[in-house]
Amino acid sequence: MFLPGIVRSSSLRQQTRAFAAISPGSSPLNLTSSSPYQVFDRKAKFLQKDRAATRDGGARSKTVDYIRTEVAERMLERFLDIKRKFNTVLDLGSGPGHFSKLLETERTKKSIMIDSSVEVERIHADEENLLTIVDRNSQEAIVSCLSLHWVNDLPGVLVQIKEALQPDGLFLGAMFGGETLFELRTSLQLAEVEREGGISPHVSPMTENGDISNLLSRAGFNLLTVDVDEIQVAYPSMWELLEDLSDMGEANAIMGRRNFIHRDTLSAASAIYKELHGNEDGSIPATFQVIYMIGWKPSPSQPQPLKRGSGKVNLKEVL
Amino acid sequence: MNTLKTGTSQVTPLKKLAIHSTSTCSSQASAYGKCILATYTDVRKDICQEEFTKFGECLRKAMKRKW
Repeated sequence: MFLPGIVRSSSLRQQTRAFAAISPGSSPLNLTSSSPYQVFDRKAKFLQKDRAATRDGGARSKTVDYIRTEVAERMLERFLDIKRKFNTVLDLGSGPGHFSKLLETERTKKSIMIDSSVEVERIHADEENLLTIVDRNSQEAIVSCLSLHWVNDLPGVLVQIKEALQPDGLFLGAMFGGETLFELRTSLQLAEVEREGGISPHVSPMTENGDISNLLSRAGFNLLTVDVDEIQVAYPSMWELLEDLSDMGEANAIMGRRNFIHRDTLSAASAIYKELHGNEDGSIPATFQVIYMIGWKPSPSQPQPLKRGSGKVNLKEVL
Repeated sequence: MNTLKTGTSQVTPLKKLAIHSTSTCSSQASAYGKCILATYTDVRKDICQEEFTKFGECLRKAMKRKW
């Protein structure tokens, strides 16, 4: 979501094309891709995740697990509401298995974890090409805990998930929603406008909660349940938030991002963040909005709507 | 969560900037933030130039370098 970077010398700055539409450090647009959506630089994201997982021998990554652990627990509550036993669950974008480690053997016999970061490999694969590693109609349940917000083609991935499920298979997911990090987004925008006279992408565009149910039904899921939850974390200042985001492997990976922010802009953003959003005790809040979604692959065994005209009670009388 | 001052890892320039912008120059930072807060619906380039110049000077002095 955000990459703190700084220019160390003026000679370096001259070599860097700071205002180019596609910044020099990012990998080029993949023009041969069939996907119509190219928002995120997946290559940069893989690198960021790998680095974050190995920083200080993994210790830094462990300290910043708090969001994922919390969301995994909340997701498990929803999982336990489903009265069914699963032989296997496919954990998409598992990371080190925040969700899978909470599963109980009584309810779930086996969990397969898939992630795109090499360092935490279970099955090392890209979430965007799910069907290349998983057969169609093969999975009983697929879960995804905070892994879909870096996917370029979200509608396509949801379709692939549906295809990979058996009929009446379950998809349970949690992903970051549009309000996530709005404080950071606004502070950086204000700072950039005031200092430099323009804005550039720092916080990812994220899916609005209203869009999720549309996307799920478009992908062909049945019996949808979507709900939204917010987690607010207090940080001493913007700098700790940025450091933690980077340790989470959640630094900025938007196509066409600038690879550094000027110190003046960064300091200005920190000052604005504190005055505009700061808590009374001097700390600053960061909002993480999480959208939980449940969808089922259609199957004849599922409860179906009754035929038109089969109702016996006139709703007019009830109302 | 990491705290900047008690962290065992070495102090990078970015961390120095973090400390100076939040504690050493906190009064100037606050003045700049309040200026933005007063105009945030209509922010234009250099609208708080005066406040930022003071904040920036304080930072450059604290960091002991120019940029």
